Amino acid sequence: MPAFKDDQIIIISPGSRTTLAQLGLPESFTPAKLRFKSRMFPAEKDGEWEPFKVRRRGKPAANGDAPPADPQPVAEDGEDGVQYEEDIHSDEGAIWPIEEGRITDWPCFFALMTYVYNTMNPPFHTPILLVAQPAWTSREREKLTQFFFEKFKTPAFGLLDSAVAALYAFGTMTATVVDVGFEKADVTAISDFLVHEHGRTVALPRCGGEAMTERLYEMLKGRGFTPEMCEQLKTSPICEVLPLGVDLPLVGEGEREAPANPAAAASTGANASGPGHRNSAGAMGDAPRGPGPDTDVGEEQKEDDDNEGVLDVASIVTGGKMNEYLARKEKEKAEKAVARRKGAQEAATNAPKAARLPNSKRPRNTFIYEDYALHSALKDMNLSGQKMAEMQAALSDAPQQKQRTADENGDSAMIVDGYSSTEHGIPRDGPIRREIEVGIERFQAATGGILENLADAIHRTISSVEEVNKRSELWDGLIIVGNGAKIRGFKEALLATLNSKYIISPSSATIFTSELPSNLTTPSGTGTNTPQPQAPPHAAGGSNVNPLLFAATTSQNPHLNPGSQIQPMHTHNTHSSHGQTPTSIKTAKIPEYFPEWKEAGFDEATFLGAQVAAKVFFVVDQSGSKAYMTRTDYNDQGPSGIHEFSV
Amino acid sequence: MAQGFTPGQTQAPLANDYAGDEVAAIVLDPGYSTIRAGFAGEDTPKSVVPTHYGVYEPSDSAGPELLFGENAIHNPKKGLEIRNPLNNEGIVEDADTTAKLWEYAITSRLTGSTGSARAIRDGEKNGEGDPDVDMDEAEDTAEKPLADSPLMMTEPGWNSPKAREKAIEIAIEEWGTPAFWLGRQGTLAAFSAGKSTALVVDLGASTTSVTPVYDGQMLKKGIMRSPLAGNFVSDQIRLLFAQSQPPVPLTPHYIVKSKTAVDAGTPAQAIYHEFGFEPSASFRRFEEERVLTEFKESVVQVWHGPGRFMGGPQGASNEEIAKGLQGRPFEMPDGWNQVFTAERFKAAEGLFDHKAAVTAPDQPPPRPDQTLPQLINASLQTTDADVRTQLLTNVVVVGGSSLLYGLTDRLNAELTQMYTGPRVRLQAPGSTIERKFASWLGGSILASLGSFHQMWVSRKEYEEHGPNIVEKRCR
Repeated sequence: MPAFKDDQIIIISPGSRTTLAQLGLPESFTPAKLRFKSRMFPAEKDGEWEPFKVRRRGKPAANGDAPPADPQPVAEDGEDGVQYEEDIHSDEGAIWPIEEGRITDWPCFFALMTYVYNTMNPPFHTPILLVAQPAWTSREREKLTQFFFEKFKTPAFGLLDSAVAALYAFGTMTATVVDVGFEKADVTAISDFLVHEHGRTVALPRCGGEAMTERLYEMLKGRGFTPEMCEQLKTSPICEVLPLGVDLPLVGEGEREAPANPAAAASTGANASGPGHRNSAGAMGDAPRGPGPDTDVGEEQKEDDDNEGVLDVASIVTGGKMNEYLARKEKEKAEKAVARRKGAQEAATNAPKAARLPNSKRPRNTFIYEDYALHSALKDMNLSGQKMAEMQAALSDAPQQKQRTADENGDSAMIVDGYSSTEHGIPRDGPIRREIEVGIERFQAATGGILENLADAIHRTISSVEEVNKRSELWDGLIIVGNGAKIRGFKEALLATLNSKYIISPSSATIFTSELPSNLTTPSGTGTNTPQPQAPPHAAGGSNVNPLLFAATTSQNPHLNPGSQIQPMHTHNTHSSHGQTPTSIKTAKIPEYFPEWKEAGFDEATFLGAQVAAKVFFVVDQSGSKAYMTRTDYNDQGPSGIHEFSV
Repeated sequence: MAQGFTPGQTQAPLANDYAGDEVAAIVLDPGYSTIRAGFAGEDTPKSVVPTHYGVYEPSDSAGPELLFGENAIHNPKKGLEIRNPLNNEGIVEDADTTAKLWEYAITSRLTGSTGSARAIRDGEKNGEGDPDVDMDEAEDTAEKPLADSPLMMTEPGWNSPKAREKAIEIAIEEWGTPAFWLGRQGTLAAFSAGKSTALVVDLGASTTSVTPVYDGQMLKKGIMRSPLAGNFVSDQIRLLFAQSQPPVPLTPHYIVKSKTAVDAGTPAQAIYHEFGFEPSASFRRFEEERVLTEFKESVVQVWHGPGRFMGGPQGASNEEIAKGLQGRPFEMPDGWNQVFTAERFKAAEGLFDHKAAVTAPDQPPPRPDQTLPQLINASLQTTDADVRTQLLTNVVVVGGSSLLYGLTDRLNAELTQMYTGPRVRLQAPGSTIERKFASWLGGSILASLGSFHQMWVSRKEYEEHGPNIVEKRCR
């Protein structure tokens, strides 16, 4: 009987931004059941932590809609009037204990783990598998082991390297795992389940999703975008990395066709609304609602009576210009409605054509911005429930019923906290949704050198694998995971970058020999690939035969080649005489056993791998593989014993 | 998390019980090209960092910033210089930077910058107050990166007494290690091959050394070294490239944005990056070295005989024979490619035959006594005849540059020719890791032995006797 049951296994995968966790392994593996933002808030009492931002608020005050000058007036209220409210979306004042994969704030990290653990509320006999970041040092792993054993009294604890986890998901033994995270990327070469620690690229900074957000912000801040807007733009489906050599859509073209399809404007709220949307509004004499290449938001913003282009509505609200803004907003909406009606008639015929244009061909596109900042600004004003709802309706662009679709069709990596599932929150307490238009900048998220840096790191990592004959196989088994790589086209662009920079073409001088059977090991059909004895393709001296012919015949039969007779004492002399790599670059194919995963995408395949590994370690082989440490082992060896057990 | 974090049902062993072989010691093995660090008892060093480091000085900043580790030094930046704190003979020149690099090698992958497992243990042992608070304190007090672990360092056999004293000073005073020991790289490499008597031939990046080890003791007067090592081969390749007609363009990866396949020998047609500034010469050289490494791995071969490359048997030059052999193609990062035939034997021939070295006005040929066979011979001449026989049957070849294709075979042939009488037995570790990290591995084995316990120089002894103790205890 297995030592542990499927439904009693905890998997926790902490990341810089998101921590995934799950209790129990279902029959068919599904994406992580629980997602947490990897952050905690210092509680009022020192040394304690809260999972959510706790807002103090007074009783609904009389000064309801008069915007308070002091953003936090309630803090000074008397004790009796104080209420506490958790704001599950706010990140204000949060501490993120993992930075670039490294744990920088241990008490906070432990608090997060405790919160994650308690949320799952596991039964007594529950082993824990923790997916370890490559950046964690040996001593840190010991510290974690000690924490998990002593705090949770777990009967067994395993540390699974995140790269190995990805390998398990792909069901392969040899691969190069590229894990693009939030602030960093890891590149790990693994052959035959063995991680090549030497040369491994650990926590390559500025190569994660955040770097792309920053890049977008750099380009768009002049147009009044906030970093949060850029983050949401990045996660929206309209943000793409275009393949190498594809030109950005010309702004001019879009402008030309724009007036022809004002109907597209009618599809407000849908992510795929037409490019002419805003232009048509402009044509109707309305002011541009969002930032675009031709709105000079930066300057106008300062003028009190010209707030149309302002994106940071939250600051208006807190700044006390609320009513003015709302009035204009109403007017805008009304005008737009007229435009919509008019436009729909004239241009209904032209619209479908334009709407069908793929995102990559359009100079402009819009996305829905969920304005939590505005939402919390409103909250700080202590509005009554009804007032709040009115304000939200007034500020919101997107019809409420669209929200669901936006969530679903976007690859939107919106993080839902532990128990704040979707049914909770949206109707009344959701963020304010606004539609924002953006130009070709949305295709340039990865232009900050991230692809080149990552490609160089991959090349470096594979080049430092000591067994040179493995390199070719490593190039043919690229695994790209991580939410940072989720942007449409990112993986393809990375592959294209690798291909254009590093691939070794068959030399025209040896066009004949390059077609010789490779003397590199190739995976055999059974999946086993024992290293073949290497045959140096160069012939021994003194032979009068055409060397090419000689090589062609002998390279398949090493024993025929006198030059390759190896001295008996150098039996494993396989270190050299290889061709340059890569001659081809391929990604590993993921087995699609699990429909739920297939649907969700394999960006978090690391977690799938952890599920597979947990099943193998705890249920199938039990302690045979020594992949986890039991309580008894811990009692015998102490925390440092973990190195003998972790994978 | 404060509540409930109580000591487990079973008390973890007390800090005092963790000593010597129970807390894994850290083994630090610095070399010219890489610094290896890891826990004793493990089979590979967990942390291998380049010794080259970056000095980054943006025009607007006050002082230069030091960049350590692979991730930081491969991206072209304006004002980035790549340096090596060791001089061409592998001797520390810039002691302060070296200490920082060593510390980086230890903290980046092994201990973490602040983390200290012992601090938790102490907190528990004392059982006083909130463990949380203890942990916070630990982070303040345990800035010393090695407060927990004994440290074994390796050094080249010709290290100066001053440098040795400096090493123990850094380890005990700056890093706070409780115990220290300094081992000779040659001796440790012999241990890694499972031998206590051996003639260790170590081909590194900057230096090739021959160390006779007898009964676990290094025979100091027999240590011979020469600059004919990995960097020498790189320089030979550079000369070959420059002297060939037309010259071979050596283009590092970072310059190329994308390349197109071109016919062999025709100019590259690549799209190049435009930086808007000129990356420094040292950076370019460092990146070129990556290409040269690839060239060494995939093209360069040591002439396999018979005889030396220059002047073959029966009057016919081996070079002529080599030209008839199948060449090996090499493609530069910009797409330029060519097949190398005789040239690929030339690059490494200088290691064995000083006359065969490629020369240039500013790069005179090596002296005959610097070549590998002469070096070994000179070393053996210092030993007694009976020891010599034993050494010759236990020649251990290690070091990254020994991985040049065919090098061990050729060395074997040369030695057999020189010493016809006694039997020559050459041993080179099979796996690349064992070859490259031999001295680290020897240190790992030695430090994990229970019997090594008494060898450590403890902090107390250091405080009593001063840094000079290292001369007495670590011979």
